[in-house]
Amino acid sequence: MKDNSVKPEEKPVPVKADVEKKAVVLQKEDKPVADKIKVGHVHMSGCTGCLVSLADNYGGLLTILDKYADLVYGLTLADVRHIPKMDVALVEGSVCIQDKISVDEIKETREKAAVVVAVGGCACYGNITRFARGGQTNQPQHESFLPVGDLIKVDVYIPGCAPTPQLIRNVCVMAYLLLKGNKDQQDLAKKYLTPLMQLAERGTEACGCDLMYDVVNQGLCMGCGSCAAACPVRAITHEYGKPNVNREMCIKCGACYAQCPRSFFNFDVITGFEGILEAIDGALK
Amino acid sequence: MGTELGNYKLCISARSTDKEILKKAQDGGIVTQIFKYALEEGIIDGAIVSGPSDEPWRPRPFVATTVEELMKSRGTRYNISPNVSFIKEATRSYGLDRIGIVGTPCQMQAVRKGQLYPVGLRDVPDKIALAIGIFCMENFPYQSIKQLVEDHAAMKLESVKKMEIGKGKFWVYGERGQVVQLPLKVTHKYEQPGCHVCLDYVANLADVSTGSVGSPDGWSTVFVRTKKGDDIWSKAIAAGCFETKPIEQVKPGLELVSKLANEKITKNQKTVEERAKFGVNKALRNPYISPK
Amino acid sequence: MSKIVEISPTTRHEGHSKLVLKVDDAGIIERGDWLSITPVRGVEKLAIGKTMDQVPKIASRVCGICPIAHTLAGIESMEGSIRCEIPRDAKLLRIVLQCANRLHSIALHNILILPDFYIPGTDTKINPFTPEEPVRSVAKRIQRLREIGQTIGEIAGGEAVHPSNPRVGGLYKACTPHAKAKMYDLAKEGLVLAHEQMEFMLAVLNNMKKRDWTEVGGKQIPLPKTLGYHNQGYMAAHPMYASSNLDDNPGWDPQRWTDVRPWDWYMGEGEVSLADPSYPIGGTSPVGTKVNPQMEACTGVPLYDGAPVEVGPRARLVKFKNFDEKGTWGQHIARQLEYTDNLYTIINALDEYNPSGKVLADPIPQGDGSMGWAANEAPRGTDVHLAKVKDGRVLYYEMLVPTTWNFPTCSRALTGAPWQVAEMVVRAYDPCVSCATHMIVIDEDKRIVAQKLIQ
Ligand SMILES: Cc1cc2nc3c(=O)[nH]c(=O)nc-3n(C[C@H](O)[C@H](O)[C@H](O)COP(=O)(O)OP(=O)(O)OC[C@H]3O[C@@H](n4cnc5c(N)ncnc54)[C@H](O)[C@@H]3O)c2cc1C
Ligand code: SF4
Ligand code: SF4
Ligand code: SF4
Ligand code: SF4
Repeated sequence: MKDNSVKPEEKPVPVKADVEKKAVVLQKEDKPVADKIKVGHVHMSGCTGCLVSLADNYGGLLTILDKYADLVYGLTLADVRHIPKMDVALVEGSVCIQDKISVDEIKETREKAAVVVAVGGCACYGNITRFARGGQTNQPQHESFLPVGDLIKVDVYIPGCAPTPQLIRNVCVMAYLLLKGNKDQQDLAKKYLTPLMQLAERGTEACGCDLMYDVVNQGLCMGCGSCAAACPVRAITHEYGKPNVNREMCIKCGACYAQCPRSFFNFDVITGFEGILEAIDGALK
Repeated sequence: MGTELGNYKLCISARSTDKEILKKAQDGGIVTQIFKYALEEGIIDGAIVSGPSDEPWRPRPFVATTVEELMKSRGTRYNISPNVSFIKEATRSYGLDRIGIVGTPCQMQAVRKGQLYPVGLRDVPDKIALAIGIFCMENFPYQSIKQLVEDHAAMKLESVKKMEIGKGKFWVYGERGQVVQLPLKVTHKYEQPGCHVCLDYVANLADVSTGSVGSPDGWSTVFVRTKKGDDIWSKAIAAGCFETKPIEQVKPGLELVSKLANEKITKNQKTVEERAKFGVNKALRNPYISPK
Repeated sequence: MSKIVEISPTTRHEGHSKLVLKVDDAGIIERGDWLSITPVRGVEKLAIGKTMDQVPKIASRVCGICPIAHTLAGIESMEGSIRCEIPRDAKLLRIVLQCANRLHSIALHNILILPDFYIPGTDTKINPFTPEEPVRSVAKRIQRLREIGQTIGEIAGGEAVHPSNPRVGGLYKACTPHAKAKMYDLAKEGLVLAHEQMEFMLAVLNNMKKRDWTEVGGKQIPLPKTLGYHNQGYMAAHPMYASSNLDDNPGWDPQRWTDVRPWDWYMGEGEVSLADPSYPIGGTSPVGTKVNPQMEACTGVPLYDGAPVEVGPRARLVKFKNFDEKGTWGQHIARQLEYTDNLYTIINALDEYNPSGKVLADPIPQGDGSMGWAANEAPRGTDVHLAKVKDGRVLYYEMLVPTTWNFPTCSRALTGAPWQVAEMVVRAYDPCVSCATHMIVIDEDKRIVAQKLIQ
């Protein structure tokens, strides 16, 4: 699944705390609203829980729509029937390859969107649709559901089921900065989004077992407990400090691995947490 | 001094003024004292701490919402306590809006990653009111502590009163007054492997971090790092929670903290690099580069 | 001569669906077929062989708008099969969770329907996202009501969207006194807002009731007084919560339920013969588009006493509170009337809830394969799950979800309306289409009976 070959150009990132200063730039900026980005919500085989999560930014959603993003597509919230051109497509759900409309729609999404974000476990990893095996009337042939990344190139991953309103919000704000911000803001956005882009490159399979494969088996687990906290079905317990996954509960949402500080930890962003969190808060006021 | 001590606004040597706390605190009782103050002042409405479980010296994370419960968490248990596992539950069935949490540097990293990248931590990021980090050179699996105490120090785990790492030794104090010291080279093999890639000694990402190193026995070294930390610390000082001494005036002082921090980071940075050529043209994962 | 119009996909509800409408020369619907075109993830089939603990978690993910109903109906059908009574305090927290979800759901539905309505006294339709007043204050109030619902749900249920706390046998975690106090405070705040919001919505609805026309795609379309009327029956299992086979007097009867396949019920092959490019937004399907509802429909047609029934807020009020307003407006009004009921129920349940009580049954039986069912009153209506569990594993699982019950009823309610307002009728059912994936095979005899009744 994964290529562990040595890449000589990659050096571990030194522990530096220089982002904090940059993050503050974002706040000082007086007129953040040059023009808004165009965002669409594309609904494949998902449950709309991802969209509910987006809406669960409550007042923040209204601010995002006022200042940063126009919702140009989204069958549930907006009155638009056909996929338009957009800057960012938030795709929810996996793709039923026996349903031609779905397959066409996901391809069209790739053509129409500059950035494709897979939102939620279903879009990223298949989630519960990984268990689907057809046989149910009235469409017993609907048997195979693929994560979006198996059919098109996906740029950014937001795993989890449901994904959290706060992570969706952060990605939207960062996408805005990436597309419309000044040099420093673009820099920060790039750094922030990098691990979520790398998750997209990592692959379309996830499960609690990843904690074993890519953390414990790799000698990296230090027993913090983040994975257990993240799991939306309480499949993870800690036994003598290390994760135990109840595989008959796991729904394959990918939250645990992505939340683990030993899946990725980008010092160059996280060290600046104070400034970045303040900036995001400020942006949504 | 470089970046090994992280950003901080203030570094000071301190000790709680509460005799009850000091009775069982590991060092200067900093952690318990700040949480007690913050609870009483309504700055937090509960704290995720680590307390005793049904096996001797095996820690168990729990949510303390009263001073009484908090007192049960005093002292260090040198083996893994997955404190972050409660960070979401604290906002759910406990209903907390302002959470306190204590943890090792890696656990502080987990908390901050969770705030910036809340993949599975809905509605948690803005509820972290006070994150207290404790210095940490390494941690151990439970079985390691059992073997260190029962084999190397020849004591029953049940009859141990306190354990401590300091002055280059692993100390075990028995209930009946025995003191055994083990050289750290004995302990190394027992360390949890995940600690060997850890690049933080003094909890650089906490609001306030503390440990024994740098200050005299019974006192703690304290870094106040963030605005939140600064705010709470100054209020606690004003309320008379702590005795303090300028860090420049205590022995062994900040230099030792720096030295140990540098040693840890240099050693572990090397491990991280060696992992890149662990196999034959095959690397072990590097979490600081990518999740792949 | 009648013509066929197709609106595909329909918007401002959850999931994928479309409308295939046979209309007369005046554009009045003679026969409407509203059908789900969401791919069938087949949860009923994938459940077989899995554990009774995992299946409700998967079932929850059938729909993100009423996941609470699917979780609870799933779990309670398992409990019905293994004959497991849960502790009282667990039940109380489940009720809190249920009502919290319905509160958020009604508020969300307000956002989805408002664009069809006018600011009273004006000819301006409401854009819920506009920063202009008075709409912005309403949008903020809606979001706050949703936040209150989601937060209470998160505390009692562990997560706001797919709840993690409920499990077969009760709950994983009891709520502390502090958590109880927080939920209580939120409910009190919500009550004030819910009253205001209900009044606002009723004003908007009553204003609409008085109008003779509405604007669609630049044209004035007449609004019939009987918009959305149908003569099907109503079904509801409980005023607020649920009923199951473990109840002394069950509110639902599996003997009265049958199913037909779309093949027998929907229109067959046809071709779009009327298109309107000015229909918002992007126009209707072009002339010549092939349609075939009976092949395309992704759900079956469940019947109660041999006929389609309406489920949802109006059905609950008709059954339990003598409500009698008909049609699309009546349905909307019923939904607003449930706003405050949810909060009163939460407050009452919390009054009774004891934080130090047990929340998990002990022991939890593993099941002998007996049939169990639970009928949960989801925001959109009765959500019936049926299960058989043996040795902790699921042998059989059915989900008769609210929108599936409503598809045929709503299709009938379209008759007599100008086709341009068909989507308004659909939206009054607050459909959440992605859950509507049910269909079972029935024996020949029953099928013939069902067919006759519909004709
Ligand atoms: C594994 C480990 C290694 C350490 N290494 C060093 C070191 O190299 N140098 C140094 O100066 N200090 C180190 N410390 C910190 C030191 O032992 C004290 O915990 C710290 O000084 C706080 O003391 P106090 O008197 O202020 O806290 P107290 O008031 O005694 O409270 C201690 C707090 O620590 C928490 N705690 C106890 N055990 C654990 C655990 N296993 N995981 C997470 N939290 C726990 C408790 O919840 C309690 O809140 C280490 C601590 C641990 C857990
Ligand atoms: S990831 Fe979860 S919330 Fe999102 S569509 Fe899938 S099941 Fe629903
Ligand atoms: S989240 Fe923490 S406990 Fe879980 S696998 Fe990662 S390091 Fe280990
Ligand atoms: S263990 Fe939990 S968090 Fe991890 S993938 Fe499975 S369901 Fe998701
Ligand atoms: S050494 Fe690092 S990884 Fe290990 S417990 Fe301490 S802080 Fe965590």
